[in-house]
Amino acid sequence: MAPEATRRSDGLFMGIGNGMKYVAIFFILVVTGIFVNLVHESKMLSYLSSDPKVCINCHTMITHYATWQHSSHRDRATCVDCHLPRDSFVNKMLAKARDGYHHSVAMTFKTYGNNLRISSNAAKRIQDNCISCHRETISQMQTNSALYQKVADNTVQMGRRCWDCHRGLPHGTMTSLTATQQNFNIKVR
Amino acid sequence: MKRSWGIVILCVLVMVPMLLLTLSIRENKAEQQTINAVPEMKPFESRSSEWGKNYPRQYDSYMQTRKSDAIVDVLKQDPALVVMWAGYYFSRDYNKPRGHYYMLEDNLNTLRTGAPVDAKTGPAPTACWTCKSPDVPRLIKRDGELEFFTGKWAKYGGEIVNPVGCADCHDNKTMKLTVTREHLKRALDAEGRLKYADATYQDMRSLVCAQCHTEYYFKKTEWDDKGVKKTAMVVTLPWDKGTSAEAIEAYYDQIDFSDWTHQLSKTPMLKAQHPEYETYLTGVHSRNNVSCADCHMPYVREGGVKYSSHKVGSPLDNIANTCLNCHKGTEKEFRATVDKKLERKNELSKIAMDVLAKAHLEAAKAWEMGATEEEMKPVLLDIRHGQWRWDYAVASHGAFFHAPEETLRVLAGAINKGQDARLKLRTVLARHNAVDYVAPDFSSKEKAQAIIGLDFKKAVEEKKTFLDSLKQEWFKQGEAKGLYDPASRKDMVRKTSYN
Repeated sequence: MAPEATRRSDGLFMGIGNGMKYVAIFFILVVTGIFVNLVHESKMLSYLSSDPKVCINCHTMITHYATWQHSSHRDRATCVDCHLPRDSFVNKMLAKARDGYHHSVAMTFKTYGNNLRISSNAAKRIQDNCISCHRETISQMQTNSALYQKVADNTVQMGRRCWDCHRGLPHGTMTSLTATQQNFNIKVR
Repeated sequence: MKRSWGIVILCVLVMVPMLLLTLSIRENKAEQQTINAVPEMKPFESRSSEWGKNYPRQYDSYMQTRKSDAIVDVLKQDPALVVMWAGYYFSRDYNKPRGHYYMLEDNLNTLRTGAPVDAKTGPAPTACWTCKSPDVPRLIKRDGELEFFTGKWAKYGGEIVNPVGCADCHDNKTMKLTVTREHLKRALDAEGRLKYADATYQDMRSLVCAQCHTEYYFKKTEWDDKGVKKTAMVVTLPWDKGTSAEAIEAYYDQIDFSDWTHQLSKTPMLKAQHPEYETYLTGVHSRNNVSCADCHMPYVREGGVKYSSHKVGSPLDNIANTCLNCHKGTEKEFRATVDKKLERKNELSKIAMDVLAKAHLEAAKAWEMGATEEEMKPVLLDIRHGQWRWDYAVASHGAFFHAPEETLRVLAGAINKGQDARLKLRTVLARHNAVDYVAPDFSSKEKAQAIIGLDFKKAVEEKKTFLDSLKQEWFKQGEAKGLYDPASRKDMVRKTSYN
């Protein structure tokens, strides 16, 4: 009896084993399908570009887009010129991936309110970019900050954020998501 | 088998967040649709207060343009103009522009549109309505462009009853900026620098203004209305050769166009309208892609909301929200800089006006003394070109600021042409025994109007009759047709230079 039982259980086991293989393949197909759909729905590939319009794929960024569009930085610096590192391609892509992940989580679980604040990581990148364009203007400040800076904000160069003083740059002092209600011409796609 | 289970579990782990993300994106898109949805206006809704129900801030700020209500009589300020425009209705009445709120009112009130007594009396053609009202695109759609541009101004009196407003620049379905006057699209495509189809949002923030703030002329167009021969006077922008003073001058010379023949000098004259957009294009702000709306419709903050102010006017009224967006410096410094620019323009403009008015009077004397057409031909060409250039430089009131260098350059050319004419005239006068002729004094509006023999009193009386009768009738007709928006004339007080 024993060998028979073994055979039977073997057969049963074999059956389940083969079945599972198909189930697994089925799941892989489903996951692939969901992924392809997600690429399409989220316009994932557009995020590889540097076009400011991509940042308003979601309406969350409309106020920031509109205020930038009305600012003097409009013709000088796009979103990514300030918000992403410019030292190397790899760092730029890593930052994009990092921000993309955080944004996806925030959007999915609705963890954001009407008033967004910059993360420390992004603050550092932005300040680096402020400095890289306005180097001439702030060269003396860089020297002085090393000697006299008493406000220690270690997230950014020079220990103090540029926009602690230059508060309206470039988005204005009011950037609530409810602030710009009528932007018919820059509608999200 | 274990591997298969592993794969399935992994798949489920990956699938859940992906599905959540997809659902959230879907939900977001639905939300976007709601946010983007705009209340649709009925096509060609010319009553701005109707649009204002949905956009109270924009509408309220637009209505604030009624604060720009001062009548400044430019003929009184510069009486030389009366001589320069002799024989043309501009010599009767010419004021500084007031706010958008007054556009229709001032078009009705100015002595330039004359005093029609019915739908067929002149002097102005229907084209004079073109930029005054959102009722115009509606009529062009209803009657066709050629029919619209055929006939006298009074023909549409009872149809055009609302001042320039929302429907002139906004699409009724999407609220996006749009060009409602075909003449601009045609001119852009003919000129070639910026095809209308290629205009970006930033371009549109200037182009909606360029629908009206440009140089134009009425192109005589013969057409056939089901067997009836008609002549339309179609608003056309003379940009085929370019938008500079010289390019437009060459265009007009080529088609042998003149707005009128000067009453004194017999010159075939050109009247520049207001080439604001053309002059702006040569300036530093244009080259830095700063649009009209950036300075004339600043982004303002009201409580917790930001919007584009529709109180279109001088950016100097709001330096903090305009100039200082890009420039360093104080409001005081800005005012001083702009004042200096204006002073420089005025200095050259005064010289040009004096020279040109004298040239007209001296030419009149030459004719009187028996000068021949052959003798006068080169003189008249200089006067034509000189006055055109002066007008191109100053008729757009903001050009001294939008394009200071270009304005002064063109004014210098105007003075040169005017003096050339006077040099030639001195020879002609000498030949005809009038070498010592001195032009009469035109130092006040009254003196100047007496020199050109204008019966100003009669013109005013006729106008007043029109204002008290036909004008009132037109608004009643508009009301009966459900076109007239009484809110558009809230607190309107009749103000003119000739009261």
